[in-house]
Amino acid sequence: MIVKKFKLFFILISPFVIAWIALFLGTYEVTPLMIIKILLNEIFHVFDIGDISEKSIIIDIRLPRVILAGIVGAALSCAGVTLQGIFRNPLVDPFILGISAGAAFGCAVTLGFLTFLPIQLMAFVFAILSVMIAYGVAKTQGEVSRLSLILSGVIVSAFFTAMVSIIKFLVDPHRLQSIVYWLMGSFSLADWKAVKIAVAGVLVGVLPIFLMRWRLNVMSMGEEEAKVLGVNIRKEKFLFIGFSTFAVAVSTSLCGIIGWVGLMAPHLVRMLVGPDHKTLVPLSISAGAAFMILADTISRTLTSFDIPVGIVTAIIGAPFFIYLMKRSGKEAWSK
Amino acid sequence: MLTVRNIYFKHKGKAEDTLKGIGFNAKRGSITTILGPNGSGKTTLFKCISGVWKYYKGEIYFDEKAIDKLSFRKRARIFSVVPQEHEPPFPYSVFDVVLMGRASYVRIFSTPTERDYEIAQEAIKTLGIEHLKETPYTKISGGERQLTLIARALAQDAPVMLLDEPTTHLDFRNQIKVLKKIKEIAKEKALVVVMTLHDPNLAGLFSDKIVVINSGRKIAEGLPDETITEDLIRRIYDTEVKRININGQNIIYPVL
Repeated sequence: MIVKKFKLFFILISPFVIAWIALFLGTYEVTPLMIIKILLNEIFHVFDIGDISEKSIIIDIRLPRVILAGIVGAALSCAGVTLQGIFRNPLVDPFILGISAGAAFGCAVTLGFLTFLPIQLMAFVFAILSVMIAYGVAKTQGEVSRLSLILSGVIVSAFFTAMVSIIKFLVDPHRLQSIVYWLMGSFSLADWKAVKIAVAGVLVGVLPIFLMRWRLNVMSMGEEEAKVLGVNIRKEKFLFIGFSTFAVAVSTSLCGIIGWVGLMAPHLVRMLVGPDHKTLVPLSISAGAAFMILADTISRTLTSFDIPVGIVTAIIGAPFFIYLMKRSGKEAWSK
Repeated sequence: MLTVRNIYFKHKGKAEDTLKGIGFNAKRGSITTILGPNGSGKTTLFKCISGVWKYYKGEIYFDEKAIDKLSFRKRARIFSVVPQEHEPPFPYSVFDVVLMGRASYVRIFSTPTERDYEIAQEAIKTLGIEHLKETPYTKISGGERQLTLIARALAQDAPVMLLDEPTTHLDFRNQIKVLKKIKEIAKEKALVVVMTLHDPNLAGLFSDKIVVINSGRKIAEGLPDETITEDLIRRIYDTEVKRININGQNIIYPVL
C-alpha cells in the first residue's frame, strides 16, 4: 500500500519536476535557482530582479513551450487511455486509429483554403469522421476484433495522410510553408496564445473524461455486460469518443501530428499501478504530460536544430509497440 | 415475483421465430431453472429477460411492475446478471470487478462512494472469496471467476438474479460448490433466482422449479421430480435414458 502511494505520488509530480529541468536546459544557460527566482517573481512580484534577458527567455519562450507540451501530452495520453478502454484494445491510441490524421486533414483544409473557418472546429469534424469510419470498417456482424480495428485505423490514417498531401500539392506556395512546418509536429511555435487555446480546448475534452473515468472499467468488460450492469453503452461510448476526439483535435491543431504518446504513457502507468481507471486516468494524464515535456526537451537540446518532437516520440514509440505486441502474445489479437 | 409472459423473439434475417410464446413465473427465495438442449432457445430467452436483446412481443413483470420499457440503469437495479465467465482485456483485481456491480447506482460524472465500497466488500465476504480480493481476475480459476461474478451480481443489490449456464466451464467439484452457494444466497437474501442449465441431474438437484424448453417452446413446467421424467429427457435430448431413485434422489442416466 505504501509502495503504491509512493508510485502515485511519483507519477503525479513527475511533470512538474521534468518541467523545471526542461526550463534550465537549452542553448542559453540559466541556472536552476534563477528559474525559481524568475517564476516566483512572475507570480508574487516579491523581489525585483530587473529586466534581464533570462527573464524573457524563460517567461516568453521556454515556459509557454513547456506548458503547451505538457497539456498536449496530457490530452493525447488521456485520449489514448480512454480509447483503449472503450474499444477494449490495449494497442490503440489516437494516432493508430487515424484520429490524428483526420484532425490534421481538417487543419490543412482550413490553413490552405478555408481560412475563415475556425481551425479547431474543422479538426474536430474530420477527427470524428475518421474514428467513425475506422470503427465502422472494423465492425463485422456487430463485433470489432482487435486486429481489424488497428487495420482499419491504418487505412483511415493512410487515406487522410494522402488527402493532406493533395492539399499540399494544390495550395498556394505561401501557405504551403506554414502547413508543412506545422504538420511535422513541433512545439517550436508555442506562445501564450497557443497555451490559452490548449487549456480551454483540453478542459472541455479531458475534464469530463476525468469525471467519468470509473465507468471505463465497466465499459471495458464488453457491451453486453455493460448493458446489464446498467450502463447506457451507446450514449456513453459516444460521449467518451466525442470528448477524447475533441482533445486530440485541439492538440493537433496546435502542434501537428504527434504519435505514440497516447499508447505509451497509459501502458507505463498500467504496468506500475494496475488497470483500475479510477487511478489510471489521472496518472496517465500526468505521465503523458511528463513524457511529452521530456520528448520535447530532447528534441530541442539534442542537436543544434529543433528536431520535430513527433520524430522523437516515434523513435521511442515504435520499439515500445513491438515490445507490447510480443509481450501480450497471441491473445492481443483475438477478441 | 417475476412474471414472464408470452415472449416472442426473432433473429434478424431469420424466417422462423427463435422463441414462440414462452412464459413462466419465478418466486422469491427459490431457484427456477430453464432446462433445455443446446439450440433450444434457452440462451435467447435468457438474453431477452436480462434485457440484452429485444423481444418483439410479450411482457415481463416484477411485482406487478412492467419492466420492458425501463432504462438500462433502472433495469439493472431489478435484475442482476451473472454471465458465463470470460477474460476481460485488462487484469482488474477481483475487488474492481465486484465493484462494477455498483454501476447503476454511480452517477455518470462521478465515482463509487464509500457506501459502494462497503457493499462490494460485503458481497465478497458472502461469497467467501476475501483472500482473492487483490488478485487479478485474469489469474484465478474458472470456479473463482464464477464466484466473483456472483459477488458482483450481489453487489448490484437487485431482487432478481439471472445466471447463464453457471457451471459450463467448471469441473465437477466447482459445479457443486457454485450451485450450493447460489442456493444458499437465494434463500438467505430471498432473491428470485433464474438460471439456465443443460444438465438434467444438476437441474434436479438444485432447483425448486424447472421450466423445460425445446425448439423455442415451453414443453413442461413444475417441480423437478415431477417434470424431469424419462419420457421428457428422451424426447428433448433424443437419447435413451433411465431414471432411478437413490436415497430419495432421482438420477437420470444414459442407457448405453
